[in-house]
Amino acid sequence: MSLIVVIEDNEHSARLASKLLRRAEFKVILAEDGETGLTAVFENHPDLVLIDLGLPDIDGQTVIALIRQQEELASVPIIAFTAWPQETAENMAQAYGCDGVITKPIEAREFANQIAMFLEQ
Amino acid sequence: MASKNVKPEDFHIAVPTNEYTDDGLAEIYNSARVDYIVPMPMNGKRMRQYIDAYNINLGASVVSLDIEDHVPTGIIMLGVRGDRSWITRLGVIPVKRRRKTGQFLMNRMIEYSQTNNIRTIQLEVIKGNDPAKALFEKLGFEYIQELLVIRRPPSKLDESKINPDVIEVAEYENEGVYPFLDEREKYASWVEETQSLKNAGSLKGLQVTLKSGEMGWIVFQRSPFQLQHVVLQPDISHEMRVTLLQQMHIKYPLQDTKVENIPAHHPVWDAFCEVGYLETFRRIEMYLHL
Repeated sequence: MSLIVVIEDNEHSARLASKLLRRAEFKVILAEDGETGLTAVFENHPDLVLIDLGLPDIDGQTVIALIRQQEELASVPIIAFTAWPQETAENMAQAYGCDGVITKPIEAREFANQIAMFLEQ
Repeated sequence: MASKNVKPEDFHIAVPTNEYTDDGLAEIYNSARVDYIVPMPMNGKRMRQYIDAYNINLGASVVSLDIEDHVPTGIIMLGVRGDRSWITRLGVIPVKRRRKTGQFLMNRMIEYSQTNNIRTIQLEVIKGNDPAKALFEKLGFEYIQELLVIRRPPSKLDESKINPDVIEVAEYENEGVYPFLDEREKYASWVEETQSLKNAGSLKGLQVTLKSGEMGWIVFQRSPFQLQHVVLQPDISHEMRVTLLQQMHIKYPLQDTKVENIPAHHPVWDAFCEVGYLETFRRIEMYLHL
């Protein structure tokens, strides 16, 4: 069972993402800010990180950069999860070493499949 | 939904933000910005840093409450420096929209400024937020310029591009950088003004000397994970600008960097691009002269 760390401060999005992923038999750890998210990632070495780019304590991009600086986490897929305009989100995600972008709002039917595809890649 | 005959005051009452905790203000602000183009949420600690760095007057800033159930409908904050004020953190809670909340909040800030010897009110609006921009224009705010918010992820510089003609790099910190800031260009947006930098603290400075004899300085804030508030000496060559940025990133290779509100047509943007910065989004700066 793959472990996903979801770093998302928006309660509604976090709850929905978590529900959809658990229903698709992923194990999920939810973190509501950057600091908690970093701890969850460093302690659990997940199979994938889904991260909102706008977080209330540390910017999402900075959290991504901090994860990427850990050698043992260099190959963990990181997916930016954002409501930013598509082009901005993709440019930013690529620059910071993300493996993809999922834009909000969540497409409930597609969401778990999108995550599964990123894991397969 | 509000008809044209009703006034914003028919729907809301104003409560000064100094009646709320930092966590409480952050919660209202986050609720109001949840569906914005760039939400930029905050926690209580970040809210306090913001209030202190940007001289937010919590007695003048307000939370609006629904006149009937007294539930928050929105928030607005006002920074005050001398005869200038700065409107920021404006947000309307989604379920409480279409009741002229934005106009109600803006009116409070304009009234405060008018009665407190303010001559100019400044604000920035994210480019693309057309309803907000239309409201500001309706209230008399005028377009000043476009500003860039840019970032650079931590990454190693291309060694072949690092200027080999650097002969000395001197380091400064905190009050040691103030003489440099006295020399900076006159214009800066509110968040990048010298007062903001001094309030924010943790300032660092580098002064670089090239073989040609040209000298230049760069000042920035170093927080635990980020470099911010980057200021370059005015009237230096493009080569020096690039070299200063390179030296900052050589010194702090693991830091993420965020720079706010560079005028879109300023030549310094070319130097930032050359060192790997990317545009995140744009703001439009607007002023209202009273």
